[in-house]
Amino acid sequence: MTGPVGSSFLMEWHKLRPLHKTSRTVIVAVLLAVSVSAAVAAAMAAGADSMTSLQRLRFDSVGTSLQGVNAAVLAVAAFGVLTVTREYSTGMIATTFLAQPSRLRVLAAKLGTHSAVALVSGALACVAAFAVGQALLGAGGLGVGWDAADLPRALGAGAIYLVLICAWGVAIGALTRSSSSAIIWLATLLVVAPVVIQILPESVVHAAGRWLPSQIGMHAMATRPDPHSFGAWAGLAVLAGYVVVTLAAGAWRMARTDP
Amino acid sequence: MIDVVNLTKRYRGDAVVEALTFSVKPGTVTGFLGPNGSGKTTTARMILGLTSPDAGRATVGGRRYRDLDFPLREIGALLNPGAVNPARTAIEHLRWLAAANRLPAARAELVIGMVGLDAAAGRKVAGFSLGMRQRLGIAAALIGDPATLLLDEPINGLDPEGIRWIRTFMQGLADEGRTVFVSSHLMSEMALTAGELVVIGRGRLIAAESVKSFVARVDSTVRVRSPQLDDLEVALAETGATVWRSGEALEVVGMPIEHVGSVAGRIGAVLYELSSQHASLEDAFMRLTGELCEYTAEAVA
Repeated sequence: MTGPVGSSFLMEWHKLRPLHKTSRTVIVAVLLAVSVSAAVAAAMAAGADSMTSLQRLRFDSVGTSLQGVNAAVLAVAAFGVLTVTREYSTGMIATTFLAQPSRLRVLAAKLGTHSAVALVSGALACVAAFAVGQALLGAGGLGVGWDAADLPRALGAGAIYLVLICAWGVAIGALTRSSSSAIIWLATLLVVAPVVIQILPESVVHAAGRWLPSQIGMHAMATRPDPHSFGAWAGLAVLAGYVVVTLAAGAWRMARTDP
Repeated sequence: MIDVVNLTKRYRGDAVVEALTFSVKPGTVTGFLGPNGSGKTTTARMILGLTSPDAGRATVGGRRYRDLDFPLREIGALLNPGAVNPARTAIEHLRWLAAANRLPAARAELVIGMVGLDAAAGRKVAGFSLGMRQRLGIAAALIGDPATLLLDEPINGLDPEGIRWIRTFMQGLADEGRTVFVSSHLMSEMALTAGELVVIGRGRLIAAESVKSFVARVDSTVRVRSPQLDDLEVALAETGATVWRSGEALEVVGMPIEHVGSVAGRIGAVLYELSSQHASLEDAFMRLTGELCEYTAEAVA
């Protein structure tokens, strides 16, 4: 930690520490995950009486309690985007590069620190969403409790999903340098695309749907397999592939184009 | 110590900085002069690794800025004073800079005191005046106790008290043996602070020398007052000097003061005044950059 790489991380950590607008997006993300999970779980529990026994058997209690995590993605992505774009819009990126002239080191430090925060808050969001979701599902006899099969995998995959989304935000931020275009891109990919794809023929939905980040996330946290999806880890690997490609493009632009 | 060798930057084919070569030495304030748009900021940004040159190189203490692991310890820079996150407090801004270069956090408190911002340390930068931002920028430049300082237009937005403060401050830093490179478009300010000059116009070097020799490049004027003004005017004109009337006196250009005195003696003129009017830095600057601009305009036509 005494070299320039370590101090770059320290620099980004110091910038993160005071809880300003950027860091608030993390809190928003956790609150969204928990409240949307609670709403979905409450709705399911209310309709539990009319469920058939087959429906109860097929019911994914873990996946349902974690549905809110997908509502948090845009906030987590914004957290990643803003660490880059806010510096370009305020001109502070020049000060950052004066302190650390290796632009790739700066990008790596932003990626590392923000991914660490996303991991901790993502894990917190998943656990909290599950706890609240289970409490509400339990009322309808749909709860599975903390010893449910595949639960550690679902929670871990949920947290990793949010880390990848945050890293994607950093990458798109580095590529676009503009908060608005980066958020529009992410909103299109994460929120609009899953809606648009629903109006396409079923064969297309089955073939293309699995490539959508939101589908990847949902299936990573599910405990009932879906034949039209990648498995949890394969899906996250696909998402990681998107992140790596975008990150390479973002790093190239950051290093080549002067601020 | 800053060395610039053959530095060139073009934007869409137009040279903003063209084959610039100069070096800035420690122990004195070096003024970086040029009209607005002459390439001063682009040069500063290339020295600081923020803009990539198309040719040539700029080094600080013999190394390129991008090769410095902890650059704030080598060179402190003041660029655009707006380059601060307005949501952060002044002391937070300095603390992350300290952390970025492995400097003790106490440096942040020390430099904020040096620029007289102690009272505002805990306030958000958003509420700062331009003058306060300039002071914060100077504090940031000093955070690593660097041997070299590069200040781009540091007196912008400062009140007269602040201008006087920065003048003495820069002088003090140079007296400590540091290299102080200050850009400005205000000649009068540089005349008061700088010992050495780097002058550019349209991205090209016009001069890199001491203020004294730069001013001496422009012919000084000799002023003569005499009751026999008409006779004197004829006598001086006959010897080839350029002479014109200025009220009750003559202004003579292109002739040393001794020769003017000899001519007056030869015709037996009584003198009330014989004085040398030194060209100011501003005169010299306008004359030399003006020539360059005319030359370029002709070349284009």
